[in-house]
Amino acid sequence: MKNDNKELPEGIRYIRKGDKEFPEKMLELYDCPEGIYVKGSLPNPEKKTVAIVGARMCSAYGRATASYFARELAANDVQIISGLALGIDGAAHQGALLAGGATFGVLAGGVDICYPRGNIELYTKMTGQSGIISEEACGCPPIAKLFPKRNRIISVLSDLVLVVEARQRSGSLITADFAMEHGRDIFAVPGRLDDELSKGCNELIFQGAGLAISPERVLEILGKRNKKSDNFKKYVQNVLAREENMVYSCLSLHPQGLEELCKHTQLSMIAVMEAITLLQLRGMVKEIGRNRYIKES
Amino acid sequence: MFSSILSADVRGITGVPILVETDISDGLPGLTMVGYLTSAVKESADRVRTALKNTGIPMPPKKITINLSPADTKKEGTGFDLAIAVSMMCSLGIFPQEWVEKILFLGELGLDGTIKKIRGVLPMVELARTQGCKVCFLPKENLMEGQIVEGICCIGVGTLRETMNRIIQRDYKENQTEDQLEETIEEEQPDFVQIRGQESVKQAAKLAAAGRLNLLMIGPPGSGKTMIARRIPTILPPMTREESLEVTKIYSVCGLLSKEGKLMTDRPFRAPHHTISVSAMVGGGRKPMPGEISLSNHGCMFLDEITEVPRNVLESLRQPLEDKVVQISRVSGNDIFPANTMLVAAMNPCKCGYYPDMNKCHCNARDIYRYLNKISMPFIDRMDLCVEAPRIAFEELTGTELGQTSAQIREEVISAHQMQLERYQGSGYRFNSDVKGADMEEYFRVGKTQKKILEDAFERLNLTARSYHKILKVARTAADLAGSQEIETSHILQAICYRNVDRKFWAV
Repeated sequence: MKNDNKELPEGIRYIRKGDKEFPEKMLELYDCPEGIYVKGSLPNPEKKTVAIVGARMCSAYGRATASYFARELAANDVQIISGLALGIDGAAHQGALLAGGATFGVLAGGVDICYPRGNIELYTKMTGQSGIISEEACGCPPIAKLFPKRNRIISVLSDLVLVVEARQRSGSLITADFAMEHGRDIFAVPGRLDDELSKGCNELIFQGAGLAISPERVLEILGKRNKKSDNFKKYVQNVLAREENMVYSCLSLHPQGLEELCKHTQLSMIAVMEAITLLQLRGMVKEIGRNRYIKES
Repeated sequence: MFSSILSADVRGITGVPILVETDISDGLPGLTMVGYLTSAVKESADRVRTALKNTGIPMPPKKITINLSPADTKKEGTGFDLAIAVSMMCSLGIFPQEWVEKILFLGELGLDGTIKKIRGVLPMVELARTQGCKVCFLPKENLMEGQIVEGICCIGVGTLRETMNRIIQRDYKENQTEDQLEETIEEEQPDFVQIRGQESVKQAAKLAAAGRLNLLMIGPPGSGKTMIARRIPTILPPMTREESLEVTKIYSVCGLLSKEGKLMTDRPFRAPHHTISVSAMVGGGRKPMPGEISLSNHGCMFLDEITEVPRNVLESLRQPLEDKVVQISRVSGNDIFPANTMLVAAMNPCKCGYYPDMNKCHCNARDIYRYLNKISMPFIDRMDLCVEAPRIAFEELTGTELGQTSAQIREEVISAHQMQLERYQGSGYRFNSDVKGADMEEYFRVGKTQKKILEDAFERLNLTARSYHKILKVARTAADLAGSQEIETSHILQAICYRNVDRKFWAV
């Protein structure tokens, strides 16, 4: 791997194992790469780093939870690292950026290829104090066998790994296995027993992973005093009309349809439709699929 | 001796006059037929000759020439047989030409002289009336259909002999159709009251019927999308006489009228299978025939599983949905079929059908993308209303609460139609769905508060200009249903709730 910085595309650096900048944590890997490619910055070794990983096809609840944890942690100067995948990974990066924190995406392929394409917006935003990292050369396509390798870097660069939603035999559990190997703390967000997307997380908890009940507790483990992020908008519910309030109070992070809202509020269908549209226009409700609504967090 | 008899053919769904000319003269015995004929028409010579012989009229050993005029348009079908036979009889001197002036003859002949039913009688009889005919001979089986046209005497004949006798006796009395006792079998008719829950979908169906808007239902398997679609005809108002005539003509051309051939009064409901071809959908063939979209003219077409419908078929629907007519071009000319339908489409949200229920859905992001990519955005854009049909909870299925009956909903729809007809009087439009371009500003005017909401929605929900106009259309329809002259906030909010989907909804 002899690569000169001059040959690299603009904005991408190659950092050799011996360089001062090379993350010390990487050396813990028995198969530590000779160097890594970076677009943007590398994680600040003085700061704590948390990896947030999970399913690509996650639920709306999972996405909101990942974003919430990332936002709260980033607001307390914790760096968020993940894999820039769809679903949980993307939500975690997004959350960290919302709080104005630093976030790092470790790619399986070259850092010049945004994979998946759907996250191009995130990819372009992750510059400055944030960055994109990969051990593969530029132009390397993200092929399947590279993904477990990438997971080991996510794990080794972090101080704590948080799994948000994972099915049984999910790729996120590979990251958790690496974390165990690297001696990192592992936390998992619990879920209902019958929730397919939480089976992996619950299994981790059974095996002894920490129960991530709130960002505050995770911060405590990291030895940080919690400082509430001011980005988290608290809506004043008393500006709402009665119907809107009734509908809003029935909403949660689990998507609900018009029928359910109707049943819970005992309002007429038209009243519910009006209220939900007004809430949406106020930005308090998000429509995640046709006529499926969650609380905007 | 020369004779000429009026017959007719169908182009598109209108009749065109065809003159059958026969000349019998001395010369080498034989029969020639000319006039750009297809083989079905050419074979008519043998049918007519044999039928005449079996009626007791022998062919003289003379030179017989038959011409179908105008001689430059292609003639198809078997409907000219009777006219050719009558023309021959006239040329043979059985009755004078004056006796058969201004009379239209339609029908296919059997070898024994029986007259068999043909397609497209209604538009042809209508043509005869506009040509100033007073009498029309047609097959007995098509009599009811012919009688739909007022102001012309239709005579249903069973055999060639009967036809001949009637002409000779100059007996041009309309024969009475026996009013058959209608046996209505009392079976449970589909009705909206049978559907439990699904209030939001029912409301959307009501709006669609009221404004003749296109409706898209998205939902998991078994949520009742098909059940609701099948009940939409029960809430459509009855057709006006002009609408009935147009619909009956289309069915007449396709040979799809019921045995009695009565005027169709119920709005058509078509539900073609998703393996349908382009020609079956929009019409086609060498001699173009109407397709499903024309067969559902003034009615409703239900397309289940639209993601499975071949892409080219969906694309072919785009233009008719916009223009409300289908134009089919062939070398021989253009045919225009009406296609003023209301489209109801249903689809699953993903391949397995359960997204966004992550406990059941096992699709990955690419599966979903690929699934939705089967429908093009321009097609989705033509849907005015979009609603989710959720899975029904058990309590709702077994609950005792009953919704509105179809009859009740229909009343509301009829009064909404009435409001629209009054509003659009003299403008060329009839329903909210017809209003186009600059006229929207005039007919869909909103107040200041409503405008503010629309502006908010435009920004926050990333609406496009097209979806903005659709919202106005739906809001206007909601106002019509409520009997309100003005579009109120509530109507706008409802419309926004039913707005069209875009790709982002599935962004995973």
